[in-house]
Amino acid sequence: MIACKKEKTTSTTPVMDTVDTTAQLKYRGVLMSGPYGTVMGTVKIYSKATSYSLVLDSFAVSSGPDLHVYLSKEVQPLNFIDLGLLRANSGTQVYAISGTPDFTQYKYGLIHCQQYDHLFGSANLQ
Amino acid sequence: MKKIIALIMVTVITNNAFSQQQGASRKIQFADLAATIGSSRGAVAASYVHNWKLGKKRKWEAGIGARLTSSFGSKQEHTTAPARLSRTNTIPFLIVFAGQKTENWDTLTVQRPFVNSLNFTVNFGYDFSSRWSGGFNIDVIGFSIGRKSPAVLTSNGVTRTEPTAKVSNFNLLLTGDLDYGNLNSEFFVKYKLNERWALRGVYQFLFGEYKTTTIKQTAPDGTEVDRFRIKANNLGVGLSYSF
Repeated sequence: MIACKKEKTTSTTPVMDTVDTTAQLKYRGVLMSGPYGTVMGTVKIYSKATSYSLVLDSFAVSSGPDLHVYLSKEVQPLNFIDLGLLRANSGTQVYAISGTPDFTQYKYGLIHCQQYDHLFGSANLQ
Repeated sequence: MKKIIALIMVTVITNNAFSQQQGASRKIQFADLAATIGSSRGAVAASYVHNWKLGKKRKWEAGIGARLTSSFGSKQEHTTAPARLSRTNTIPFLIVFAGQKTENWDTLTVQRPFVNSLNFTVNFGYDFSSRWSGGFNIDVIGFSIGRKSPAVLTSNGVTRTEPTAKVSNFNLLLTGDLDYGNLNSEFFVKYKLNERWALRGVYQFLFGEYKTTTIKQTAPDGTEVDRFRIKANNLGVGLSYSF
């Protein structure tokens, strides 16, 4: 009886988004497991015109509560952009990035448990 | 506020003295357990109430008490608390009608709030009939303890992690956004089942407050803010036992 709102959860069914083949790959990094959970896959940043998107490619993560996708200035996120709840534990997933972040500062792609402030995985974007 | 509290205390004390002369029937003591729920927060409250009947017909009552309130929720959005930033004026009582300065508000989303507060209360009531009555009560001063929680501070679209937001420990009623800490208030309708037991239908207005410990909001006036508040409207039921 904590609240009437139903919380969104990450699906265990793989999501297979289609990556826009006309978009240009700008940065990429291999996901490394954090102190909590296990991740694998690659984080890629694509640009098309003035918009950016983050792609989790060949991605898989162990189950966890309230997992979010972050673009972060630090490996342990203090200053970050929340791209939203992780949609599925595996697959290839595309997340829109609002605005034009400075990727020299926001240089990490993270899978982060927001509720408990636990890092599941990080990728150094280069 | 001090004048009002003093007036209430004088009323209660003089009435108590009067009631002792007139007999014990003017005194009402009961314990109450209430559970409430709203869209963002749930709460349980255990209270002890010591009221005195007022007026010729003894339909009015007022008194004091103590209340332990435990409230909890998930991903609760607290906004900038200091009244000088949140409201267009900060005059006690009138602040309730003041406009909101939402341009100054930042949002602290507390991930797993859990707050226990013990407060001194004042209570008012009126008997509509031998079985039905209604009333209002409000926390005045006390303290809180609770669970530290991760939080996310959102300020002008920039998000930062607060690893350990903590419960504000000191509670004080100063009206509206001037308040400090965690305060509970209730409007209720009460139905007497028998001489001892009564049921209450409760509308609860709950103030909750968390503080950041590692990051702060920088307000437009340059000051740093660590207090963030949530206001919850809840509905629930209560069960009272008269001594």
